[in-house]
Amino acid sequence: MGKEKIIPVLAMVLLFIGIVSALYVNATQVDKSTITIQGQEYTFDELLVLGGEKTIKTVDGEVSGVSLEGLMKNIGISCTQCSKYTIKGADGYQKTVDWNILKTGVLTEENRVFFPDTPKELWVRYVVEIEVK
Amino acid sequence: MDKKRLIAGVLVFGSLWGFSEVIIGTGLQDVGLPYGAIMTGVFALSFLVLSRMIFRQPGMQVGMGFVAGGLRVFNPFIGCHLCSAIAIMAEAVIFEIIWYNIESDFSDLKTITMQSSMGIITAYLVYICGSVTTQVLTPVVGGTGFYLEDLIVFMPRILASGVLTALLGAITLPVTLQVKKLDLTVKDRLYYPATLGLTILCWVVVIGSSLITS
Repeated sequence: MGKEKIIPVLAMVLLFIGIVSALYVNATQVDKSTITIQGQEYTFDELLVLGGEKTIKTVDGEVSGVSLEGLMKNIGISCTQCSKYTIKGADGYQKTVDWNILKTGVLTEENRVFFPDTPKELWVRYVVEIEVK
Repeated sequence: MDKKRLIAGVLVFGSLWGFSEVIIGTGLQDVGLPYGAIMTGVFALSFLVLSRMIFRQPGMQVGMGFVAGGLRVFNPFIGCHLCSAIAIMAEAVIFEIIWYNIESDFSDLKTITMQSSMGIITAYLVYICGSVTTQVLTPVVGGTGFYLEDLIVFMPRILASGVLTALLGAITLPVTLQVKKLDLTVKDRLYYPATLGLTILCWVVVIGSSLITS
């Protein structure tokens, strides 16, 4: 098969993959305002009481929110230092961090996590779950 | 091909690409437009194809990616500057791979179907591979640790996000190839001052805007 056939077919295949993925993403989108931690649902206000408020400096300026360090210590995780934390967004985006990073971060009222001194790719938006492993 | 002329071409096209990523990309993001798709599907694709068309020199686009990525590092004010710089460099490498077997005179791309199809393939794969590379390399370079399962779970969204870029590429490539019909030769005595001037202007504006907004 020559290029004149392969190129249009490949273009159609790639578009098909993209459209099917878009349909899948739309179907699996999570829509909720609470955050799941260790199988338990929490509102932002409940998390604020548990973790306490903290302000950190980021490349985008100062950010205030729930202290993730205080939250994990008070939520009943047996070994905070030896656990990994997967922060999951409603759009399927997720990032796994260890304790040394997590303890520096905050969760804002807009359900977004921020960390100082890390690439912004760790700043997961629309957080719906923090899985502790 | 004269090496000096080629290096000047790499610098000017790479700088224009980096300038558009930083200055135009910021503007597009500020008004809420999908700047990632527009930057890759319109600007990156245009600069990469134009440079290939003018210089007919495979490998040149990788150099452009490094210049553009380098310029992007100077402006950390939108998104993740490290991620953006890595993505731009990866996009240039992916472009070279995709276009490896395309004739230097573009004789493979005579029909509008072939041009649009190649635009879809290039824009989609450049965008997807750039995103995946960023997802892998940024945590490694940033020292935060890479976790494969995070990438696997996010893959459907990356694949979906490339559709708009692909559709833009389907329009951008045929339009860019129309430039072949224009006579854009620059006289030798003007070539180096023009490329050097344009390159310096791009860098001054980008670094200046970084300093002003910091």
